[in-house]
Amino acid sequence: MTTTFDNLSVGDTIDGPKFAVSRESIRLFCDGSLDYNPLHLDDNYMKGNFGKTNFGGIIMHGMNNFGLITRMLTDWAYPAGAIHRRLETRWIKPVKPGDTIQPVGIVKAKQVTQNSRWVLIDVLVKNQNDEKVATGEAMVEFPVATSAAA
Amino acid sequence: MAQAQAAFETDFWKDANLRKVWDDIVPGEPRKTIPYLLTKEAIELYCRSVGEDHPLYFDEAYAKTTPYGGLIAPPSIHILLMFACTPADDWMRSPGTVNAGQSWSYNKPARPGDTITLQARALDKFIKRERLFVVHDNVFFNQHGDVICSGRGQTIRPM
Repeated sequence: MTTTFDNLSVGDTIDGPKFAVSRESIRLFCDGSLDYNPLHLDDNYMKGNFGKTNFGGIIMHGMNNFGLITRMLTDWAYPAGAIHRRLETRWIKPVKPGDTIQPVGIVKAKQVTQNSRWVLIDVLVKNQNDEKVATGEAMVEFPVATSAAA
Repeated sequence: MAQAQAAFETDFWKDANLRKVWDDIVPGEPRKTIPYLLTKEAIELYCRSVGEDHPLYFDEAYAKTTPYGGLIAPPSIHILLMFACTPADDWMRSPGTVNAGQSWSYNKPARPGDTITLQARALDKFIKRERLFVVHDNVFFNQHGDVICSGRGQTIRPM
């Protein structure tokens, strides 16, 4: 069934893509994002302490989570003629090479405003051990005029 | 613009001594930014890095049949634009900068061929549990002056 504003219910879920994290995927994200922070490149640097934290090796960019959540939301919204309007995220746990992560979304609320219609979505990213690595909230607009667009 | 893209320095240690530390950052003061020509190739490379495969980003013939009327970049392209639109001595590149969370609002999609500009500043800074935080305030525009997206983020500064 095609997703529409009217047929969505609170609690509906959106399954995002599984993503296998490797040294190569992290390096590709450096090239794609131009973020060459040594946190993501340099194991020797990562042997040191960051305040009270020691990561023990390179970690994935937090924004790689953000990019994956975005991919889940837009792939869900485009066929419904809906528009991804906002994403807020927090990182809970570092992601490392060898991890497999997957974002999911859960419809939290629907809201009609003067000129449009909005769906609020809780998002989270879990790793292969079912641990939360990132959480957030998103807002997707279902415009009145184009809600039936393919 | 093209020259800034060709010269991107991937060794973030190189200009580390030129960058502001937490103590030097003045909330409210604009950051130096540089216009950036967003190419189809840069969009495709970013897309590959997160597994984006929607034809709106790759297939012009398809994209023309959609309400977007042509190729666009995914909303999260600001991840790339943040580094593309800031110079090598910008403090976002300080090694050890840890991203502590972000919120972004999307207005119009960025498109291949757009010249993107950034207005950015630190909005606030504070200390919490012995960590040095900065709150970032960023707005990206296209060459028509349209807002593409606006965002707020927090980073923990290296000590």
